[in-house]
Amino acid sequence: MTTDDRTRADETEDEALRAYRRTARAWLSEHMPRRDGADQGHDVDYYTPEVMATNRALQRRLFEGGYAGITWPKEHGGQGLPGAYEWAFVDEAADFVLPDFGALTITTFYVCVPTMLAYASPEFLRRFVPKVLAGDELVCQFFSEPSSGSDLAGARTRATRDGEQWILNGQKIWSTFAHLADSGMCLARTDWDVPKHQGLTWFLVPCLAPGVTIRPIKQINEVAEFCEEFFDNVVVPDADRLCEVNAGWAVTQTMFVMERGAGRPEDGNPLEGPGPLAPDLVQLARRAGRLDDPIVRQELARAHTADFVAKALGARIAQMGELGLLTPGVASYVKLFRGTYGPRRARLAVEIGGAGAMTWDGDDPDGPEPALTYLRARGAAIAGGTNETQRNVIGERALGLPREPSFDTRKPFNEVLRDAQNWTGKV
Amino acid sequence: MELGLSSDQELLRETAARFIDATCPLPMVRELIGSESDLPAGYLGRAGELGWFALLVPEELGGGSVSGEGLRDLAIIAEERGRALQPGPFVGMNVVAAALSTAGTPEQQARILPCIRAGEATATWVFGDAVAGPVPGVSVTATPQGEGFTISGQARPVPGALGADWLLVSTDGDNGVSQFMVDAISPGITVTPLEALDVTQRYGSVSFDDVVVPVTSAIGHPGGADRDVEVQLQLACVLSTTETVGAMDALFELTRRYALDRTAFGRPIGSFQAVKHQLADLSLALEASKAVAAAAVRAVQEDRKEAGEVVSMAKSWVADAGIDLAQGCAQVFAGIGFTWEHDLHLFLRRITMNGVLFGQPDWHRERICRAHGLSQR
Repeated sequence: MTTDDRTRADETEDEALRAYRRTARAWLSEHMPRRDGADQGHDVDYYTPEVMATNRALQRRLFEGGYAGITWPKEHGGQGLPGAYEWAFVDEAADFVLPDFGALTITTFYVCVPTMLAYASPEFLRRFVPKVLAGDELVCQFFSEPSSGSDLAGARTRATRDGEQWILNGQKIWSTFAHLADSGMCLARTDWDVPKHQGLTWFLVPCLAPGVTIRPIKQINEVAEFCEEFFDNVVVPDADRLCEVNAGWAVTQTMFVMERGAGRPEDGNPLEGPGPLAPDLVQLARRAGRLDDPIVRQELARAHTADFVAKALGARIAQMGELGLLTPGVASYVKLFRGTYGPRRARLAVEIGGAGAMTWDGDDPDGPEPALTYLRARGAAIAGGTNETQRNVIGERALGLPREPSFDTRKPFNEVLRDAQNWTGKV
Repeated sequence: MELGLSSDQELLRETAARFIDATCPLPMVRELIGSESDLPAGYLGRAGELGWFALLVPEELGGGSVSGEGLRDLAIIAEERGRALQPGPFVGMNVVAAALSTAGTPEQQARILPCIRAGEATATWVFGDAVAGPVPGVSVTATPQGEGFTISGQARPVPGALGADWLLVSTDGDNGVSQFMVDAISPGITVTPLEALDVTQRYGSVSFDDVVVPVTSAIGHPGGADRDVEVQLQLACVLSTTETVGAMDALFELTRRYALDRTAFGRPIGSFQAVKHQLADLSLALEASKAVAAAAVRAVQEDRKEAGEVVSMAKSWVADAGIDLAQGCAQVFAGIGFTWEHDLHLFLRRITMNGVLFGQPDWHRERICRAHGLSQR
């Protein structure tokens, strides 16, 4: 946001919000470090124990200053203010360092805990949420399993009741930053004799609980952002159950909405100009001596155009939200655009750079980037819901097309697993 | 296409839609194929009464807009026109009205503008290869001669050329870019009908055989009209792109309904993922096209410094997305869409044609590179 925009925004805000901005501004300059330079994205290796500790201390400072959980309920340690206050705070804090826990910032503050606030018991929330706000509890998602990704309701991690506690056994995977988290929000099957959506329950599982093993997974591009977890007779007290027994699917659907970005303060950025022409690809073309090649120039303009279209599409969907025109499924357009175009754009780097870009000297710090980007890009088509899942969501919810027939939603989950093994195509 | 229209703008949209539905709905467009005129009698006059050719004309010249932002209003009409594949020199009339308003002499404004604004006279824009990229055999030049200029060359395809009363011709030449407003029946001007992929409107070839024009017919400064021509190109691209988006929207909705109504293997074909995913991808192309076209409308309306670049991005993107969408819809309709009597081909033809008018996509992409100063060979 430019200074002009900020001034304009000020004029339309009411006095209470303006006063809030002034107080926040003063508090920030007294208590939070100023940022030097633009905020850079970091890869997972940046988040060392020291970096995490520094950011936890910053989170505690926000909490003590009354600027943590701005929209969360007061009885759970939040500030109980409308969303506009959080946006105003983020806006005022643009020049300051805010706590950065990498992917755990999103999973903790914008996905898991907001979902818990909607479903967990008051006793649990009173005990747990203040610890989150103070930076003592970072939450990851124990969500996908080796045998249940897009079909999340097919989770097979088993939770068995044992008096006032539950015993968990099973395996989770693709848990972003789990090795840096304090606990995970875990989806488990609590009833195998009912249809798949009706036997699921959510639990909070501490990462250090006896029986939990967390292993980072080395990815295709050699970094390890994701983990896999093994649960071997992990004991979870019933007090850490996050919803009614077997009522977990509704929670999951809320979580999907949160995952797609609902309520994040960066929503609704107005569309700015097109910016520089695909600088990464131009640099590649220049290194390859192909800036004058008409074929390469076409591809550069195409990439630049698609980059701008992505921004225009995002701004349009955000505007729909502001105007109350957002219909179900529409938010998936942004995700599908990234998931289809991202991999194509990365492939373009291979085509423009050719062999010269796919090999590099060991001491060239920029050398590996095109190859790593190429390897990493497929992730946009898979993580957080595959392109195919987005197409189903768009087709069924935005376009009103009928669902495929389902063979697993009415019968007990036990039978579903058995019948899938013996699939003949005849119903 | 643009979100959050005012109630006045909604009214403008409804009025345009009602007029089109009453005067020239798709069956009428179809009926006019191959006939002498692509317009029902009285169409332009009625459109003029509705203000279709006055929105880019300032109030002091008898025009005026609904919202104070004429192009945004006009884009609403262009989109409605696209939905029903409306014929007629809509883009040309508005480009000429805008050019006369900004660069015409008071005499030209008094003599020509009122008739165009009212839809009583027709006008279109004629340009050579210097404006929107090479087309074989196309080049229009002006050479100073005595008190005036001699115009020679040929321009094609020119939408709205057949039967036009006035031609705004942009020329190239040793002394730079110039523009002239010429009477279409001036000696030496020949307008020949062209056969075209698009049958929903008519295209002509305009040839200038040493046409002598007085300097008083110049629009803007002879030899220095580059900026005027650029603005006209932006307007033409934005309107034609918006029209395409309207056509894409209507065609997609026809296709979506078909996927719900048509059954095969015991269920609606839209329930099969093979069809559903195709439609999801096409609707993404449509949403993205709406977003970038709306961005181009705003950029030109607000005269932003990057307007030319954003227009070229919208024009090239929507041209490609439009063809993807039309071809994808054809695949969903399958056999029935391959017939003359189904409307699909009318959309396919118009969308494809709009994509190559006013600069084809690769020409616009090269323009984007130049806007960023990428070195040239």
